[in-house]
Amino acid sequence: MLFSSISFLYYFLPCVLIIYFCTPKKFKNIILLLSSLLFYFYGEPVYILVMIGSIISGYIHGLLIDKYKKYKKVFLITSITISLGLLILFKYSNFIIDNINSIFNAKFALLNLALPIGISFYTFQILSYVIDVYNEKVAVQKSIIKLATYVSLFPQLIAGPIVRYSDIEKELSNRTHSFENMALGIRRFVIGLAKKILIANQLGEISNIFLQTDETSVISYWMYGIAFCLQIYFDFSAYSDMAIGLGKMFGFHFLENFNYPYISKSITEFWRRWHISLSTWFRDYVYIPLGGNRVGKLKLLRNIFVVWCLTGIWHGANWTFIIWGLMFGILLIIEKIFLLKALDKIPKIFRHIYVLFVVMISFIIFNATDIRQAIYQIKGLFGINGETIINSYTLYYLKSYLVIFIIAIIGSTPLLKNIIEKLKQRSKINKIINLFEPIAIMALLLISTAYLVDNSYNPFLYFRF
Amino acid sequence: MNDKAKNVIITFIFLTFLIVFFVVNLLKPESEISISERRKLAKLPTLTTKSLIKGTFTKQFDQYTTDQILYREEFRKLKSLIEFNVFNKKDNNNMYMYEGSIIKIENPLNEKSVLNVANKINKIKEKYLTNCKVYYTIIPDKNYFTNEEEYIRMDYDKLENIMEENIKECEYINIFNDLKLADYYLTDIHWRQENLQKVLDTISTKMGFKNRLQTDYTKVDIVDFEGLYAGQLPIKTDKDTISILSNNIVEAATVYNYETQRESKVYDLTKIDSNDKYDIYLSGAVPLITITNSQSNTDEELIIFRDSFGSSLAPLFIEAYNKITLIDIRYIRTELLENYIEFNEQDVLFMYSTLIINNSSILK
Repeated sequence: MLFSSISFLYYFLPCVLIIYFCTPKKFKNIILLLSSLLFYFYGEPVYILVMIGSIISGYIHGLLIDKYKKYKKVFLITSITISLGLLILFKYSNFIIDNINSIFNAKFALLNLALPIGISFYTFQILSYVIDVYNEKVAVQKSIIKLATYVSLFPQLIAGPIVRYSDIEKELSNRTHSFENMALGIRRFVIGLAKKILIANQLGEISNIFLQTDETSVISYWMYGIAFCLQIYFDFSAYSDMAIGLGKMFGFHFLENFNYPYISKSITEFWRRWHISLSTWFRDYVYIPLGGNRVGKLKLLRNIFVVWCLTGIWHGANWTFIIWGLMFGILLIIEKIFLLKALDKIPKIFRHIYVLFVVMISFIIFNATDIRQAIYQIKGLFGINGETIINSYTLYYLKSYLVIFIIAIIGSTPLLKNIIEKLKQRSKINKIINLFEPIAIMALLLISTAYLVDNSYNPFLYFRF
Repeated sequence: MNDKAKNVIITFIFLTFLIVFFVVNLLKPESEISISERRKLAKLPTLTTKSLIKGTFTKQFDQYTTDQILYREEFRKLKSLIEFNVFNKKDNNNMYMYEGSIIKIENPLNEKSVLNVANKINKIKEKYLTNCKVYYTIIPDKNYFTNEEEYIRMDYDKLENIMEENIKECEYINIFNDLKLADYYLTDIHWRQENLQKVLDTISTKMGFKNRLQTDYTKVDIVDFEGLYAGQLPIKTDKDTISILSNNIVEAATVYNYETQRESKVYDLTKIDSNDKYDIYLSGAVPLITITNSQSNTDEELIIFRDSFGSSLAPLFIEAYNKITLIDIRYIRTELLENYIEFNEQDVLFMYSTLIINNSSILK
């Protein structure tokens, strides 16, 4: 089920809210678990069994690691093998078979299994729980209801953020509900909804228009690159906003997943601000166990290489994702060796341009069907394909989507947030803002509903990961 | 307002709205059709184990909730309003307003489709029309009349060239210069019958029947009209009026519908209350009809292969012919035509709009 759908907004959510808040405290987790399973079943009626199987595996392995400490390594390995095995089977089997066939000229049949929605997210959550139990960072969860509620919690189930068990361990047992939390959650959810429907979807339309047209021009490639960069940010951060907002409504506090990544002045900083839950996951569960920074140069290079290869392939079974990840790995190594220091010496504006350009190129690779298409599009940015600088087709869509671009660019910076926060420091203006806030929230909800009723373009990009 | 009060108000308004909207949507009787969009609305799907497991139930349920939502039309209007007035978009779902007229973007040119039409005409000519004088004309859609630099539109010159280069032994009648945007309804794809004098002059001159058109027409306004595009782009526009051009010859003519096997008048005024009032002209979309001119002074016959644009133009040809046969090969296979029509030395006119030529896979 999509957050940005009428069935979620006006059927599922009100029902869950009514039942949840009418239920005594001790049964609230069961209500959340059942709602989450229904939420998942709605979109994946068959593969829900894969998720339930993964949860049961994680639960049993957690208990075994806790009970039989002598053999805990064995149980950790079996748990990781089962979780990653399922992920590899569903997500990477075709990719592996295809590459084996290409390299060895073999003819193994592809499995063509459909990718269960959210498998990458819930697998990583289960892994983090089991590894944390193994490292004794968290106590084992003896209630399968609580563990299943954690993994399947519908606000973050299918597109993150990757919530650590340790982050919500206490809230699974004891959480408070307040008007403040509820109102903050509602505001965050509606802002996320509007970001998704009013901005990300529109940027998605323009990306697709330029991706599918034959009437290309140099400017159209730039518009595509910029639009896709903004789309993926607004799409994914909107989902995180909605997840965090819904979490708050039900008394959970998820960590932030984005922190205005496009204001970064280096790629190192970009990855501290982009998909924070994934990069910190790889840092804590892959990079640091491999030795992190405290190793020799060669091992350090290996660690970075492994982490970024995995980051790339986590996003999808395609060489474009691996190259995308490795590209960032190489850039981070270069920045570590000398570039960060060099960047410090140049004006801020050039540092921003460097980050934005690199990120745009990376997302062109990310969104390409194959390397050839990515190279063709990157060449198009510089007019190497022989297209005109601009044509009437490009001009039409540039004019038509100009306001969306401007809103999206401003919205990807903390400018508006900072202005509002500054104004709120004055008590009189704060009172006026408070007066308008409920009106603005309801207006955004109604406008987003209007777009949902009339729009056909509404996919979430991160559902495929 | 302090922060505490604000939090209570936000919570109260949001939850009340969600819950009330949920309950009212649940209680609201299902709507059958969307008149503005000219389509049936999704109904509550039947829940079966199979549909649940296959995921078809949930997909249909999503469609149902979107189609049956309370204030659906108002939401669609709100979206249009925001698109044009806040986001300053040039179109909404490919629909835009130009000089008060609603237009749907038709782009790019589908060369294969154009070639398909040319081949279709050649095949029909080869099979049935060897002894006939054959003409064809192309009806521009409304995009043709917009500012080329402001809006995107297909390459009309190329469309004409492909047709001219590939259609064999048929004479082309160019009517592009006989029309302007004002000759089309503001809210519909079609042209206005009362504005087709220039088109009539050009076609009748080229086909040699101008001298047989002697009687003047009287214009009668029939009914206010909101066309197909008014529903697709729900913004405020001026209303159109359906008018008919009539005279005693048109009034006396009879129309025979091969599908229903019934006779009717040229202007079917029973369609005044229908969803698409343009159907007043020759009863709308039908595969095969003949118009018989009971007051005819000639034996000449005309066959028109046409789309819906032909319905309003053909009545103006009646005086010049004894019988006019109108064939819409969107609804009848060309192979079946010989079962109904005897082709000998009739005049033949192919007339298709650029919208059909660019999307010709619907031609049978």
